Amino acid sequence: MISLRHITKRFVDGEEEHLVLDGLDLEVAPGEFVAVVGASGSGKSTLLYIAGGLDADFEGEASVAGRSLRALDADRRAAFRNEAVGFVFQSFNLVPALRAVENVMLPGLFARGGRGAPSLHALRARALEALSQVGLDAKAERLPAHLSGGERQRVAIARALLSRPALLLADEPTGNLDAKSGESVIALFAGMVARGTTVLVVTHEERVSKVAGRVLHLEQGRLS
Amino acid sequence: MRARALVHLASQNLRADRRGALVNAGAACVGAAALVFFLALGIGVGQAARRMFAGDTRLVEVVPAAVSLGGALGGGQLDEEAVARLGALPGVEGAYRRQTLRVPVAASQPPAGVRVNWPQGFTVQVPVVGVDPGLLASDVAKGFHFEDAQAGGPIPVLASRRLLEVYNKTIAPAWNLRRLPPGLDLVGLQFPVRVGYSIIPLKTEDKVYDARLVLVGLSDRVPLYSLAVPLATVRRLHAEYGKADPGYSGVTLEARRPDDVPTVAAAVRRMGFGVDEGDRALAERVGLAIAVTAGALALLALLMTALAALAIAQSLSASVRARTREIAILEAIGATPGDVRSLVLAEAGLVGLSGGLVGVALAFGAALLADQAALRFLPDFPFRPDTFFAFPPWLFALGVGVSLGAALLGALAPAAAAGRVDPARSIS
Repeated sequence: MISLRHITKRFVDGEEEHLVLDGLDLEVAPGEFVAVVGASGSGKSTLLYIAGGLDADFEGEASVAGRSLRALDADRRAAFRNEAVGFVFQSFNLVPALRAVENVMLPGLFARGGRGAPSLHALRARALEALSQVGLDAKAERLPAHLSGGERQRVAIARALLSRPALLLADEPTGNLDAKSGESVIALFAGMVARGTTVLVVTHEERVSKVAGRVLHLEQGRLS
Repeated sequence: MRARALVHLASQNLRADRRGALVNAGAACVGAAALVFFLALGIGVGQAARRMFAGDTRLVEVVPAAVSLGGALGGGQLDEEAVARLGALPGVEGAYRRQTLRVPVAASQPPAGVRVNWPQGFTVQVPVVGVDPGLLASDVAKGFHFEDAQAGGPIPVLASRRLLEVYNKTIAPAWNLRRLPPGLDLVGLQFPVRVGYSIIPLKTEDKVYDARLVLVGLSDRVPLYSLAVPLATVRRLHAEYGKADPGYSGVTLEARRPDDVPTVAAAVRRMGFGVDEGDRALAERVGLAIAVTAGALALLALLMTALAALAIAQSLSASVRARTREIAILEAIGATPGDVRSLVLAEAGLVGLSGGLVGVALAFGAALLADQAALRFLPDFPFRPDTFFAFPPWLFALGVGVSLGAALLGALAPAAAAGRVDPARSIS
């Protein structure tokens, strides 16, 4: 599902250059639940953004869900993110002005498919179904500001589920949650893996890495 | 991204920032309203002026020169030879002679069959001009003829179309006469007159007799305060009263096209004759004044619209900066840079569209109010229009279009900035 080879990523800050990923290699099989752990600033999020096609400015070869990411232009990368990848972030990243169900509908609004794309009505029905899967169908009409942290993260997961992606990328998904909410999120991930979704999660929390099938450590730009 | 999805998302974003959207729509609305209002006023007043100074744009009125050195340098009398030369000018389709009747004609009774409170002893001197029938042929009503009736028969006359309005608004109030009802068909009315009689002392001819004039049509080609009779009638009366022939008082040239008029007028002047600009010059001056005023006001409105575009640009730029993370989220879940640009443009489009629609409605409402105020506060005058505004359908489209265009123009830079948002840098 994920094949990253010799990935190198540098950041330039003024005249200083920082090497974040230094020839990193990663192979993740379909349906696998992999956790990447590491200290803050170790490059975990950068690794996730490269694998998810958000960051195209790197050296090396990245093949994800059958697509060679370096060969994709901006529009195709966007299509790749829309169809193959679901993102879950530490800070939820919901659009504050949109209700829960509208946030979940978002990936469907950007779906390519021309006339074959679902109608807004059908999209709403799918969004409600996704919210139901995370146990939030009763709060579908609430704005993010009126949801708890755990509920917001579940809305974000429902949004990631909408396109039924093959790969779920999660960046510190329980970092802002209390123990109980974190547990429910981890359980959701486990359920998705059970249904065949590949999950790559970067975290520094042991409770997440404990349920992963494989745990990798990111240090000095390389995985071990 | 599909159009419906785009509009859906754009309207959700606008709903989230109602205040900003209202301010932007208000700016676009004011520009559109001002533009539509001023243009409608310009068009409406222009139309009213054209009704007031109705005239055929193809006609050139030739008159003898005010000062003439005679035939040696051209000009001089408007005789048959001069008429033939004028008729042969390039661009001239027809030359029609005019001759003022020098025998006085007066009316001491109202037209037969019209209820007018004609004052006791009231006499109106009737200016009469004889014209070639061909000039007015198209204005003669069906069933009537415009040719010299022999002595004793009713004399066919045509009057200016504007006379009824002037009578009702000026003459009738001034002389305390009853106004003629609107829509009254005057054609066929007979006017008893006294030929040879003048209200000016010592101007009455030795021979005075009763005659009847019959109105056979209304025409914009007849001078406002004259009645037109066939040229042959004027000649007959001049012969009957022993009046010498001083040549024609005027010749009306009909140009092939309105564009030929300036060339024809210049050629006439070169021949040593004068051109009576009359109503045309007044109409052109009024039209020019209206066009310049309306143009200046429309320019001001366009300036306001441009300012609205700038305000929208600033507001959207600030909005895009504030929503950088939100835009990055959209890109993370599959929005292309093009989708993001389209989204910002769609938001601006909805703002411009709604601002334009409200602006056009406001302009229409303001025009109604202005008309009401004019009706209440302006005195009644000839050709006062029912409305000073005209709203052709294209004006509605223009108002909405300009507002939409201004909003989209203002959104171009913010949309481009939104499309350049780097999701990897902005999302975390």
